[in-house]
Amino acid sequence: MNPDWLAYAPLMLRAAGLTLWLSWLAMLIGAVGGTGVALLRTSRFRLLRLAALVYTEFFRSVPILIVMFFCYFGVPLVFGFDVSSFAAATIALALHASSTMSEVVRAGIESVGRGQWEAAQAAGMDRVQVMRYIVGPQAIRVVLPPSVGVFITTLKESSLASIIGFIELTKTGLLVRESTDGGLVPLLALAALYFIINYAISLVGGRLERRFHIGSRSDLVGAMG
Amino acid sequence: MGYTFTLRTIYPYLGELAHAAALTLELSLLSIALSLIVGAGVAVLRRSRSRLLRALGTAYVEVMRNTPLLVILYIIYFAGPGMGVRLSSFAAAVIGLSLNSAGYMAEILRAGLIAVSTGQFEAADAQGFSRLQTFRYIIFPQVFRTIYAPLGNQIIAVILASSLASAVAVDEVTSWMQTTGSTSFRFFETFVVAAVVYLVLCQLVNLGRLALGRLLFRQGESAR
Repeated sequence: MNPDWLAYAPLMLRAAGLTLWLSWLAMLIGAVGGTGVALLRTSRFRLLRLAALVYTEFFRSVPILIVMFFCYFGVPLVFGFDVSSFAAATIALALHASSTMSEVVRAGIESVGRGQWEAAQAAGMDRVQVMRYIVGPQAIRVVLPPSVGVFITTLKESSLASIIGFIELTKTGLLVRESTDGGLVPLLALAALYFIINYAISLVGGRLERRFHIGSRSDLVGAMG
Repeated sequence: MGYTFTLRTIYPYLGELAHAAALTLELSLLSIALSLIVGAGVAVLRRSRSRLLRALGTAYVEVMRNTPLLVILYIIYFAGPGMGVRLSSFAAAVIGLSLNSAGYMAEILRAGLIAVSTGQFEAADAQGFSRLQTFRYIIFPQVFRTIYAPLGNQIIAVILASSLASAVAVDEVTSWMQTTGSTSFRFFETFVVAAVVYLVLCQLVNLGRLALGRLLFRQGESAR
């Protein structure tokens, strides 16, 4: 007997929406945090530069899953307040995204020649103004295309939220699999849904790259997800 | 809250950690080796003269790069029994990691091949080099130089990704953290210890890459 797979379609689509929301939120926090870390790395103070370097290296050398476990199981034990699986997943994903984004943003800032800083300062601009009017607009060209790659990575990594019990797309697929006869169809549907979403995003990324005339999509360290 | 960080509480579990770390290492090494082989095959497909084979290679890379590893692991883990094959969780994890990593390896190797211009094949041919000699003395050294840095990154990516094997019941380091944490209620300590294991593995790869790079490519040339 074949279950009526189509009856599960609305459920899966809604779950896909949750996956997108989770990844988008994590990416947003990661991008803001990553920019902060990148600014620290270009700071004048050695201690701040070092702290930013340690932060980036740590989250790039540690699997996101153990960070997620710590946020979900460890934080309540250590700090005494409960963390929802959604919050734990968002934080872990955002921490990881921020470490890769900090490298992306740093490359963007460094792509703007030193002479421009000096010229802007000679014209009487302060550091914030230079960032806002001179460096920022040029850096964004370099930052945007690889950010699409980071977003795709984050989206794939968001499937790990299913392991700590947040019912997003992957968990929904597993639940559908259990409630039907345990076949492969729900899992293949999962793979197809993720593929369609990510492929569509990567097409947009490709257009951005062509528009800005820079290298192809770069998956950074730890990007397998 | 009165949580005090005391590593002593997890001393009894360190024996299991040694096993877990060995399993993480074994899993990573096997997957890296297998994905290099599969990836090389896919890279060759992508440079084939036949359009169909090229499309096949491209499709493989795109599917692997746009689908979560966790979903691929589940498919392989659950597909076994359905097809009458009993895969151990370790075997399922190795296959899943290798197939996924091969998608990235293929791209790395392809970039290496593209970096060598066709003129060099012709020049070597004109010099009377055999195909094997051309590969050994002309092509390989250049390809190796191009792929060296991204290959290191991919090795680190596989080590980190091997943590997902815990989801299909392989008792590696992440699984150790999870089970030890929930039996001893010492999640902070187990997290720190597991993080240190991964940090050490990744930094060893980094240092090895730097040292080997310095040895192979003489200083001043770009191979981070």
